[in-house]
Amino acid sequence: MIDAFDVSGKNILITGATSGIGKAAALELSKAGARLALISRNREKLDTTLQELHGFSHTVYSFDLKDIAGIENLLKLIISERGAFDGFVHCAGAMQMRPIQQNTFGFIHDMMLINFYAFMELARVISKKNNHSERASFIGISSVMSKKGEKSLSAYCASKGAMDSAIRALAKELVMKNIRINGITPGYVKTRMLDEYVELAGQDEFEKNVLTNQYLGLGDPIDIAHAIQFLLSDASSFITGTSLIVDGGYLS
Amino acid sequence: MTKQEKIRVIEEMMELGEGTLEEGTVLKDLEEWNSLAKLSLIAILDEQFGRKISADEIKALKTVQDILQYME
Repeated sequence: MIDAFDVSGKNILITGATSGIGKAAALELSKAGARLALISRNREKLDTTLQELHGFSHTVYSFDLKDIAGIENLLKLIISERGAFDGFVHCAGAMQMRPIQQNTFGFIHDMMLINFYAFMELARVISKKNNHSERASFIGISSVMSKKGEKSLSAYCASKGAMDSAIRALAKELVMKNIRINGITPGYVKTRMLDEYVELAGQDEFEKNVLTNQYLGLGDPIDIAHAIQFLLSDASSFITGTSLIVDGGYLS
Repeated sequence: MTKQEKIRVIEEMMELGEGTLEEGTVLKDLEEWNSLAKLSLIAILDEQFGRKISADEIKALKTVQDILQYME
């Protein structure tokens, strides 16, 4: 029987692959037999993550995705070593809280670099001829914050909203190349990013705003990894240009 | 930056008039010393003074003088 959820043998790029959702995705996809190229800033964490993966056909690349101009050369190198991609997952992201008076151009720009511009550059380069396979799938990790605002998070909310909007438009362009592109909209998930948020927002605020709305409780990175696997697989072949909400009920 | 200028930065951070704060002003007596002000302080210390401050250190701040110590 053909398993529509099968991702074995797929050549997948994951950014932000050494922590949180990116690392969970790497572990789960490797268990499912995918072949992975992992990008992260931290070489040591990459090596540790690599050792935890199942299978041996994975490679790691230490790179700061804020260097947008350097992304194309990095991808050329990866493709020369591993062949065309069956998909990519942009998990790398930054979240920092700042009230409006501190929301300077430089701060917003930094947030956009990693959360949005890097995603656009990955999509631009990988969608070029010979850089992707027949039926590739691109995924950006968004956030419930793209749909619901929160104090001090305007730059983060905007960066994720930009990604969601771009995905809707890109889906219509990339269908010509048989590429599907989607977002995933996670709710609050147990990651280091969440710990930082709770520390700054305060436990009371967190419980009032989050736990009462997200009635399935806090998510685990593996919950998002499963959604990633679904969107990379043929089981999702009729899904493009949208964002899959995986939020424990938060937006309902 | 002089001490007075630093106090002015703190006043602006909380949108208080000039001369509102003194070194001994107790932060918890100020309505403006709210969660947004604390987040602003993190950003200001980082960008203008190259200092990182943790949430625990912010909780420990009692007076304007305590903030000034991070603005060295």
